Amino acid sequence: MTRAIAAGLAGLVSCILAISLSACGLVTSTSRSVFVLFDASGTYVKAIPDATRWASLLVARLQPGDFIAVSQISSCSFSDKEVVLQERLPETPSRSAEAQRAVFTKLRDFAGSVKSTKYTDIHGALAQAAFELRQRPEKARYIVVFSDMMEDLAPRCDTSKVTLDLSGITVVASNVIKTNSANPDKYFALLKTWEATVTAAGGKWMLATSPDQLPDMVTK
Amino acid sequence: MDKTDPQGAAPASDLATGAAHSFLGISYGWPLALAILGLVVLMWMARAPVRRVLSQVFLITGRMFGRWGLWLFEHGKAARLNTAEKIASQRADELAERMIVLEDRIGRRADKLPQEVGSLATKLSTSAHSLETSANALATINLNEAAEKAVRSALPRVEEGRGVSKVNRAIAATRQAMADQIKLIRPELGIVRTEAPRLRASVDKLASVESRFTTAIDTVNKTFADYEECLHSEDRIKVASKASILIPWLIALVITAIALSGVFLNFFLIERPMAEIVGEGAKIAGVGLPTFAALIVIFLEFVAGVVLMDAAGFTKLIPSFHSMSDSSRRIMFWVAFVFLLSFSALEAALAFLRENIIETNQETVQLANGFIAPPDATTGAGGAAADSGILKGQKLATFAQLILAVLIPWMLATAALPLETIIRNSVFIVQIAASYLMLAGAFICKTINVALKSLGVFVLAIYDLIIFAPLWIERRVKGGGFTPPPKSSVGGSSDTSGSKRDTQVAKDGKDGKDGKDGKDNKDKSGGAKGRDQERELQQA
Repeated sequence: MTRAIAAGLAGLVSCILAISLSACGLVTSTSRSVFVLFDASGTYVKAIPDATRWASLLVARLQPGDFIAVSQISSCSFSDKEVVLQERLPETPSRSAEAQRAVFTKLRDFAGSVKSTKYTDIHGALAQAAFELRQRPEKARYIVVFSDMMEDLAPRCDTSKVTLDLSGITVVASNVIKTNSANPDKYFALLKTWEATVTAAGGKWMLATSPDQLPDMVTK
Repeated sequence: MDKTDPQGAAPASDLATGAAHSFLGISYGWPLALAILGLVVLMWMARAPVRRVLSQVFLITGRMFGRWGLWLFEHGKAARLNTAEKIASQRADELAERMIVLEDRIGRRADKLPQEVGSLATKLSTSAHSLETSANALATINLNEAAEKAVRSALPRVEEGRGVSKVNRAIAATRQAMADQIKLIRPELGIVRTEAPRLRASVDKLASVESRFTTAIDTVNKTFADYEECLHSEDRIKVASKASILIPWLIALVITAIALSGVFLNFFLIERPMAEIVGEGAKIAGVGLPTFAALIVIFLEFVAGVVLMDAAGFTKLIPSFHSMSDSSRRIMFWVAFVFLLSFSALEAALAFLRENIIETNQETVQLANGFIAPPDATTGAGGAAADSGILKGQKLATFAQLILAVLIPWMLATAALPLETIIRNSVFIVQIAASYLMLAGAFICKTINVALKSLGVFVLAIYDLIIFAPLWIERRVKGGGFTPPPKSSVGGSSDTSGSKRDTQVAKDGKDGKDGKDGKDNKDKSGGAKGRDQERELQQA
């Protein structure tokens, strides 16, 4: 009986302490949410196995408690059907490692089964990712885009006029392949255009050009 | 063509640059001279209130510093005495405890004394008895008589025979008689030879027992003398200075620093695996949850160590332990012991977990890189790798971590030993430093006091020097000669400016008495206190 009272008191004190610490803003979350977009268009689909390896490296560096989601950029990307996986890593390291390995498997499967799409709706994919991330409680939010960033909108799915809200979100363009080696200016101009689009939508733009850069950009 | 001014004193070009030859916008020459004259007259007219203001400013500020100095001096001295008193009482407590320990030790030795001395006495008695018996036996042996008897018994045969052979036989009989007697002596001498060293050893042992007792008693006496001095000596600072504060404090600091390095080591060992217990993803006051939990565990280990050391009687950090009964303290000791044992086991488990986490993370990163196949496909390869030297090395490293993790909580517990010295002596050191700081502050304040008063005297002298001319004229007009100031107001000031000011003070006094100068009278009625202050300033 005495033990039960003591345990109850200890629990009560712990709760009060936790609530008061939270109320004082002393307890903060360190978790982040990451939304990975893979471009499944014909110009990029060959680079997807490489991109999934980049993504795996990123997932391996995520901390327990982080959220990871994967979706593909297709002809009309603003859709739940395009989401490949959505998972929050467990908070303990060993369980988190297990979950990370499961994510690797899913990514590997995705890379093996991905089908090329006719058009590339990057705006819709960004809108979808931003919408999903806004539902998450994590403060640090990232969208990692594996694409050549060449948008080609389908006539029946023109999302170019969609209002993007990327406030509080960092967009990391990764493994942006060069489709036209003869015209570097076009490549740089394309990146500039997307940077302007993202920053205009309130987001932060970053560019990862090597696999080791990407985890550092997201986890630091 | 060069234009000239109407008076023809200066060329027009000079006038054009006249602004450059001016002081505070007043041109050099007559205007400036008139301005200076006017200023001097103004200063002469305002001499009394200005002097009062100046004297008040310097004197009151100086006095304020003087009072601060006095306050600091008194309190610094009191703090020093207070600290000395505390150190002396602390030393008295230590000596009292030491006396108790010595008394206990002597008591225990005294309990053993009958046993030690009893056996010695038995040995001594046995040896003495043996020696006495031997001595008695030796005393009964009479060689002369035996020889004489042998010779006498042989004589009749020698006389009858008158032969050489008979004589020889008589000599042989005598030798035999002597040999028989010596046979009796030898065993007794052997006993003496055996017992004498035993006797000496017993005596030495008795002497050493006596010496040990004497030393112990001397130590008790010396400690008691010191204790008496601590209690009754009037010179508390001298008594306090006999107690060493700084060196034990420094030694304790070094030991604690070493213990703290152990804490850091411990922290890095348990921080990562703590995530398996408390999880990740949150920060408390900017510190990660596993880090926070690891720190809490270390603090708890330290607290358990402090309780253990206090319950064991090694330290006296927790006052309530003093009033506890022995049985309660024993209970607390075992509780703390069990806690530390549990922490030790926890750390060992965490150390083991740490290795697992590192390995899992490594494998995960390698999997991500695509360097190795998924786990279910590598069962055979894993079995082969188990025998590799690397794996053995890893196992050894894990074992080393386990040992370290088990030991560190106990090492942390020992850090409580120097903690007592650090806390107690730190208080004394801070108090001593504060008292010396106050005394230094007192010195500075007093110096400022003297400097301000001297500066006041100097400023007043300068003021009098500036208005010297009107003062002289005033004296001439009033027809008064030089009135020497009263001795008390001169105050040993021998410089010229001082004399002038004294003259002016005396003059003011005279004016006041005569009632001719209404302004001065008003000044005087303005406050005798001001004059007192001025006089004090002059004395300074």
